[in-house]
Amino acid sequence: MIDPYYLQQLTIGISLGMVYALMAIGFTLIFGVLNVVNFAHGEVYTIGAFAGIMAIAAFGPPFLVIVFIVLAVGALAGFGLERLAFRPFRRFSDEASLKSRAMREATLMSSLAMSIIAREAMELLFGSEFQTIDISYLINKPIELGPVTIVNGDIIIFVVSVLMLGGLQWLLKYSSIGLSIRAVSNNPLGAKYVGINTDRTIVLTFVIGSMMGALAGILVGLYYGAVFPSMGFIPGVKAFVAMVMGGLSSIPGAVIAALVLGVAESMSTTFVSSVWADMVAYLFLIVTLVFFPQGLFGARRERV
Amino acid sequence: MSKDFIQSAGLKLVILAVLFVALPLLLVSLDKGYIYQVVMLALIFSLLAVSLQLVTGIAGLLHLGHAAFYGVGAYIAALAGADYGIGFTLGLPLAGLGAAAIAFVVALPTMRLVSIYFAVATLGIGQMIFLVLQNWVEVTKGPNGVSLFSGIDLFGYTVDSELGIYFVVATIVCISIWVIHRLSHSYYGNALRSLREDDQCADAMGINTVRLKIESFMISSFFAGIAGALWAYTTGYISPVDFDFAESILILAMVVVGGLGSIPGAIIGALLLILLPEALRGVGDMRNIIVGFVLFFSILFLPKGLFGEVPALNFIRRQMGAAWQDNPDKQKVGWK
Amino acid sequence: MEISRRNSLGLFLGTVGLLALPISAAAEGPVYLGYQLPLTGNTAQYGQDFKTAAEIALKNFNASGKLKVPVEIIFEDSRSDAKEGVAIARKFVDDDRIVAALGDFTSTVSMAAAQVYKRAEMAQLSQTASHPDFAKISEWQFRNITTQAQEGVYNADWMNEQGLKKIAVIAEQTDWGQSVVKDFAEKVKANGGEVVFTEFFNRGLPDFRSIITKIERAKPDAIYTGFFYEDGAQFLKQMKQLSVETPVYSTSAAYNQKLVELAGPAAEGLFLTVTFLPNSESDHVTTFVDEWKAARDGAEPGQFPAQAYDAVNIMLEAVARAYPDVSRQNVRDELAKTKDFPGVTGVTSFDENGEALKQLTKATVTDGQFVPLK
Repeated sequence: MIDPYYLQQLTIGISLGMVYALMAIGFTLIFGVLNVVNFAHGEVYTIGAFAGIMAIAAFGPPFLVIVFIVLAVGALAGFGLERLAFRPFRRFSDEASLKSRAMREATLMSSLAMSIIAREAMELLFGSEFQTIDISYLINKPIELGPVTIVNGDIIIFVVSVLMLGGLQWLLKYSSIGLSIRAVSNNPLGAKYVGINTDRTIVLTFVIGSMMGALAGILVGLYYGAVFPSMGFIPGVKAFVAMVMGGLSSIPGAVIAALVLGVAESMSTTFVSSVWADMVAYLFLIVTLVFFPQGLFGARRERV
Repeated sequence: MSKDFIQSAGLKLVILAVLFVALPLLLVSLDKGYIYQVVMLALIFSLLAVSLQLVTGIAGLLHLGHAAFYGVGAYIAALAGADYGIGFTLGLPLAGLGAAAIAFVVALPTMRLVSIYFAVATLGIGQMIFLVLQNWVEVTKGPNGVSLFSGIDLFGYTVDSELGIYFVVATIVCISIWVIHRLSHSYYGNALRSLREDDQCADAMGINTVRLKIESFMISSFFAGIAGALWAYTTGYISPVDFDFAESILILAMVVVGGLGSIPGAIIGALLLILLPEALRGVGDMRNIIVGFVLFFSILFLPKGLFGEVPALNFIRRQMGAAWQDNPDKQKVGWK
Repeated sequence: MEISRRNSLGLFLGTVGLLALPISAAAEGPVYLGYQLPLTGNTAQYGQDFKTAAEIALKNFNASGKLKVPVEIIFEDSRSDAKEGVAIARKFVDDDRIVAALGDFTSTVSMAAAQVYKRAEMAQLSQTASHPDFAKISEWQFRNITTQAQEGVYNADWMNEQGLKKIAVIAEQTDWGQSVVKDFAEKVKANGGEVVFTEFFNRGLPDFRSIITKIERAKPDAIYTGFFYEDGAQFLKQMKQLSVETPVYSTSAAYNQKLVELAGPAAEGLFLTVTFLPNSESDHVTTFVDEWKAARDGAEPGQFPAQAYDAVNIMLEAVARAYPDVSRQNVRDELAKTKDFPGVTGVTSFDENGEALKQLTKATVTDGQFVPLK
């Protein structure tokens, strides 16, 4: 029989991993299509959380209504982000620009600039402290499960992640939108030639990915009861790591890698110390990159 | 400014004259410690941006952990000074070599990676070094940071006037940038550019790409270490938070805003991102939003950077000007 | 007496003349102080609090007429970034009008800036810099904060009185957290107790559950914690989630009404030491709390703003004592002479190192309020 102590730590690790996974799903979707890192995804996550708690403070709606408000705000944020930070850089289609690394890295920087502006604006509006949230909305009611304790938020986050993952897989595999997303992701120029509206597809990807990011933001915000302007940064880095470990384009891979990260962190807190927990996560990353350079679940790539 | 002027010797003379004659005169006449400090910061960050340019702009490897090597240099200089009494003369090269040595160790397993995989690996390495600085309390003194009271001691001669320190820093930064400049405009630099343009092709042509990557990574870290040592000697107190991920991103932003692949660009980017927040102090709490907007618009309107390197294709166009069909209507591009 | 037009004119001129006297005295200019603090960035909430506190202190001081000339404070934003903090310090030093500096918030920035003040020989008084070596840098550094050498020992004795022998300690991984653990653990051992568990965490850690589970495995009688109120709220909430009932003791850094707001019922029964309580009866506390509430929509000030308020007042008193010869040297000397200053955070004196000695109060959270314990 395993010591319940380790079982509890494992459970905590898995729930931590689910939190990272929630963010990694949207992040990976956007990366998979455009092949650029969206630095502003963390801010979309924060905007989602703020939209949720503002709705709570304003008229205290039921949980599902909050979810819909947050999804709408996320969609709007994704649309705006794509318009401002990504579309302008698709105006060049000459060979020199397509080959130029500077052009590819420009979107990286424009999304970074957007994230700075969004974060600073939120700090100016709300202050950088934790926002006060109505305690009854927090999803941290303990549930005893034999020797381990979880909270109702764990279950909600688990269900939402499964729904997101399942829904996304269905969308990508079977719907026409999903097919065009995959086509653009595979070969944007080719997709254009066969008549796919690439611009619209990219906007859609951003909207879907950002909706998921915003939803992740409010769920994690309510789970920890911590909503503040720079809340998206650490999960953003973790989601990035999980995405790479999972093999870049594989969303289930990113989710599994996020779980691995979460468990690694709680285990290193258990056996070593909390301050070194991140070290283990990054060590995992480097080891993965060196020994499984395609990621743990990535599609075969020519080279990495 | 025409391309020819930028590459001419005249400009270099002008820059040197500004740095070593006009600026010191101005500094002395103003006699403001604040101005000295800002100028010193601008110099140190110019060196950081230029050293990152070698890896990211010229060799084309997105590096997300540059601040960590800056931190390694600062810590080596500060710890050597505080614990072992090693002065500036020896501490400065030691900081650079130490940073390069650590770069070598971490580069060995990771340098086979390309593109985004490389970027994430450097992010991980940068964060790991930061965690070591922060948490290995026995050696680095952890979050307590290190105080270094020795100041700048040049071959037994103590430099303690503001102007003297300025000259030391400016000279070191100039020499370092000049070395990187020469390196990037040599056959060696061209080999690095070939990595950026097409590393498989470069490999096929007999260039040892892995070795080149490790070397450029080490050289870049060496100069980052030097910059770190300068920061440690000029401030007298360092702590791990000076070298976190946000700092890496700041340096990267300097390089991208200035223009990937261009050394003057990196310097302009560094000046912009150091001087602008200081210049905007009067604006109050809005200033960082303004910095964000400047970053955004400079990328929007000049996506290749303020001083971007002329892409290879443009170069070919000019070389084969007669045969190249210009594209006034953006429809037909190609050889006649 | 009938007042003729001429007389009234004379009266008017006379009044103007009388009024003009202090004005001409003021014409020698107000006294300036510099205050460097994070007004933007991740720690802006603290800096904004300090600014409000400083403005209240300054307004009252200027209205009180203790000094013939007004005092003005120049605020500069350091973002808690050492680069900017050092630049600001040099800016203050350059400004001949500025006689002394206040700030900064984090130890990192305060320590880096202190090197500048030391060289330039200008007094620096920080309301929060907690680095063990801060005040030892030079005779120019002062701080208005209870050091852990005092607070940790006090807490250790308190727990000893309660019969708590096996104690777990956790603190944030900063210079301050290091001193929380060190000074407390030494005293616990001296008292015959045992520190059964020590761990640090990175500030802003979202998930404490692994650490809490680990603490519980060590089966301590009590947990001593070095955290600020935001981390504190997270820690207490997650303790409740895991149904851990071990009593928690903390330092004055955790004291903020926001802790109760964020943690709700989970904050009940937290023990901590404070030097300031807004529901205190004394006059200057009520003045400060009332004005703070007016400035902040009824919110109560926490420990840090109170420390900032006192720091500014201590500085202003020193300036008043130094007047009319308000030189940097004089202000520093007067600052060093501060003795039994009746602040909102208790009676404060500086020792020879520039460390504040304060009276500590035991407090706990009951029904969502911080109340003093006898």
